[in-house]
Amino acid sequence: MKKKLNIKSNILKVKKPLVKKITRNNLEEKVLQQTDELRIREGQLKQGANRERLSANREKLGADREKIAEEQIHIQNKAMEATSDGIFIIDTQRPNFPIVYANPSFFALTGYSKSEIIGKSYFQIYGADRNLRVSQEIEQTLRQGKSFHGEMLNFRKNGKKYWCLLRIAPIRNATGVVTHFVGTKTDTTLMKQRDLEIEEQREELLHVTRVGKLAEFVSSLAHEISQPLTAILSYAQAAQRLLKEKDPQVREILQYIINDDQRAAEVIRRLRSLLKKNKPSFETLDINEVTNDTVTLIMAHITAKNKVIKLDLGSNLPLIQGDRIQLQQVLLNLISNSLEAMEENPASHNLFVKTSLKNDTILVQVKDSGCGIPQENMKKLFAHFFTSKPDGLGMGLSISRSIVEAHDGHLEASNNPKGGATFYFTIPVNRKND
Amino acid sequence: MSTSNAIVYVVDDDASICKSLSLLLKANGFKVEAFTNAEEFLGFKHPKLQSCLVLDIQLPNINGFALQDLMAQRGIITPIIFITGYGDIPMSVKAMKAGAIDFLPKPFTEKKLLNAITLALSKSKIQNTKEAEVAKIKARIKTLSPRELEVFQFVAQGMMNKNIASKRGTSLQTIKVHRGRVMQKMQAKTVTELIHFAQKVGLIPQIT
Repeated sequence: MKKKLNIKSNILKVKKPLVKKITRNNLEEKVLQQTDELRIREGQLKQGANRERLSANREKLGADREKIAEEQIHIQNKAMEATSDGIFIIDTQRPNFPIVYANPSFFALTGYSKSEIIGKSYFQIYGADRNLRVSQEIEQTLRQGKSFHGEMLNFRKNGKKYWCLLRIAPIRNATGVVTHFVGTKTDTTLMKQRDLEIEEQREELLHVTRVGKLAEFVSSLAHEISQPLTAILSYAQAAQRLLKEKDPQVREILQYIINDDQRAAEVIRRLRSLLKKNKPSFETLDINEVTNDTVTLIMAHITAKNKVIKLDLGSNLPLIQGDRIQLQQVLLNLISNSLEAMEENPASHNLFVKTSLKNDTILVQVKDSGCGIPQENMKKLFAHFFTSKPDGLGMGLSISRSIVEAHDGHLEASNNPKGGATFYFTIPVNRKND
Repeated sequence: MSTSNAIVYVVDDDASICKSLSLLLKANGFKVEAFTNAEEFLGFKHPKLQSCLVLDIQLPNINGFALQDLMAQRGIITPIIFITGYGDIPMSVKAMKAGAIDFLPKPFTEKKLLNAITLALSKSKIQNTKEAEVAKIKARIKTLSPRELEVFQFVAQGMMNKNIASKRGTSLQTIKVHRGRVMQKMQAKTVTELIHFAQKVGLIPQIT
């Protein structure tokens, strides 16, 4: 409306000089001037109409935008309702930090109803989860206007436990003041359970490995000790024999030596009989299954070391007879060795595990791109107590070899032509299923 | 037990064990030869005596079981007592199945060792007697003429004189003469004894 008024005043302004010019009686000029004026007026009128049209357009655009924004909000609301994560909004401008919004998944996850949640202080509700230390930590963080991130054990209204990944982020207004918090709760119970299962299996395997190492260690030690004990016993008994009845006191002393030698021998015998209880239990196995299980156990370790494991598992491989845990132990040992060999060479990433059928045996290869095996170590590689690692016991490979040999197979190693080493073992196929 | 003409071999890679066992066995009146590896033992010229071998299973290069196989291949007949620092049962079963006299986990007492050695030497004596007897029979067979050897084989197979005569196309009298000489040269008192001789040297299959 303002703009229209402006145009009118312009017309009035133009009229005054027109009157002046008529008094000059110059018709031609007058016509020209009028024509000009008309042109200007036409232009001005056109401009005014355009402006009107533009403003109408603008209004329409505004309405469209509002509509789009409404739709967007609608979709966002729908998304909040649909997501399986529990989402909630806390108002920080009120002192008790009440929850002003929570989506259906939040109610489903916590087991509380809408009326038990909305308008209630978030800290009170969290307090109901009975995890005092965590709830205190969350309150402190939020009161400072900071974001919170953590995984924890929570309790539903009915007391049932669940693992939860909780993230709370501040929402700020135009001046940067935190007015609200938005929180996301994700139920991680299943993932956590799987992680725990993997962890448990790995622990079990490590335990078996430790027991195996101990058994092998004691067995080697028993052998090393029984040698001098045999010599001592024989020397003492030979001396007794030579003395005959001559010197009863020396004979008696010799008898003490013999008795104590036999006492030591008895300790060794008892240790040996203890270790014999660790008999392998054989069952029908699919080597690919054993390989996959083992890789699952060590996957986190491989990823943490920034290495990549590539599996090439032969299809339709015949079954084998073997001890699952022991074979896992061998594979785990070979893979960890390879990882350690590759650690010294940061440029090498790939580790290959391959299973295949070769003649009547299953061939399992673990190939790394690490530092390889120095030629002088090749021969001693599988010997007891041989190690190239600063903190190694030198039992891993010797145990692996004895396990493979107990399965009627062979464990060997060789260097790859293009660097790194390959450890490979064979297990005869189960002839029963032919 | 007569030990003066018996020899005990000891093979163990641990020098202390070789030395102590040698002293112990010598103190018990045995001749002892000790070796720290299988190769040395195989290279030794074995006298024709009652003998046995006290053999460690874990040896460098050629282990105890491999030496047992090699001895069988080379005709070195002496009973074996295995000794080992790893006393596990499957190993002892394997050793016994392969014909060992005993399997002693280390350390073992003098008594256990002497018991095993006594058993081994008595077996060795039987083996030696058998071997000597076979050698004696073989020597007597060598004195037979080709014709007499033929008659010996026919008789050993249980053929009657007349059958032999008709098979050979000679007279019964000639066969009787040959047969008499065979009995005399073989020092056989009866036909049964002659058949035993033939069995012992493998001229005819043994009935066991």
